[in-house]
Amino acid sequence: MSRRPLAALACVAAAVALLLFAFAKQFGRDPHEVPFKLKDQPAPDFTLTRLDTGEKVALAQLRGHPLVLNFWASWCGPCQLEHPTLARAAQRYGAEAHFFGVVFEDTPENARNFAGSPDGRFPQLIDPQSRMAVDYGVTGVPETYFIDAQGIIRDKAVGPLLDPQELASRLAALQTQRPGTGASR
Amino acid sequence: MRCLWLALWLSATPHPPQQAGSVPLDAAREARVQALGKVLRCPMCQGLSIADSGSSAARAQMDRVRELVGEGKTDEEIRAYFVARYGEWALLEPSAQGFNWLVWLGPPALLLFGALVIARLVRRVPKAPAGRGTPEEAPTADPYLEAVRAELKK
Repeated sequence: MSRRPLAALACVAAAVALLLFAFAKQFGRDPHEVPFKLKDQPAPDFTLTRLDTGEKVALAQLRGHPLVLNFWASWCGPCQLEHPTLARAAQRYGAEAHFFGVVFEDTPENARNFAGSPDGRFPQLIDPQSRMAVDYGVTGVPETYFIDAQGIIRDKAVGPLLDPQELASRLAALQTQRPGTGASR
Repeated sequence: MRCLWLALWLSATPHPPQQAGSVPLDAAREARVQALGKVLRCPMCQGLSIADSGSSAARAQMDRVRELVGEGKTDEEIRAYFVARYGEWALLEPSAQGFNWLVWLGPPALLLFGALVIARLVRRVPKAPAGRGTPEEAPTADPYLEAVRAELKK
């Protein structure tokens, strides 16, 4: 074979190899999926006000127990769908973990009306300008963060959590992250 | 059917009553806020920047950008803040490093390669031999063509 076809073949092979490399690196992931960069990172600190009592709640005072943070809004349909599941989980596992809702881009009045309903029976926090939500990398509502007893973000559920079993298994996985024994308080 | 029901139900819900946006900064710093907002991707309507999107998440991020600019953070620090939470995905213009070089250098390299191929092809086109009449009459080794020409001359 002469040199010219060999050079052309080498060029085509190089281009194909480059394309395959690019595809292999990027294929297999949804380009619309926003990366979860805070996984296994310390949860950003916050001090927010409780919607019902006006009491300040800081992340530091919640350390020592797993924490479930649910970002929601009263105008969000899927949030309304998942709220009963979370409320029941808060009642059932409330002795083992903290459950807090964080109101996202909503008025306190609307949030209070919704959280005051029988489905809203776990404490809700008001996040002015949704600053904490952006600190946590929230991409929309509903999103639920699972933080271990040491304050490390371990998991995140994007979209409504409608299956109590899924919520329980995520919570159980969170509790196994705790060093030592005695997850209950 | 389930999707249709969900779409109808979602469309029937009232428009999100968003929180009031933060107060714009002075002109120079607000220009920085808008410029930064133009290069950060909205996580909800993903083809838009947070400056152009009207979604609640984009508005919350713009408020955060404004707050960080107000705190005296540099543009690089603010971009790093968003990359730490949303990854390189948050940047509408990927940074020129690592694998991203492929995005920046790929198109010019392909253009250059195409130009080289065209240049070679143009150089290879044979010129018409001078003083030998029309190309149709040029001698050929093809016996069939020679036979046709002989027939035409008759």
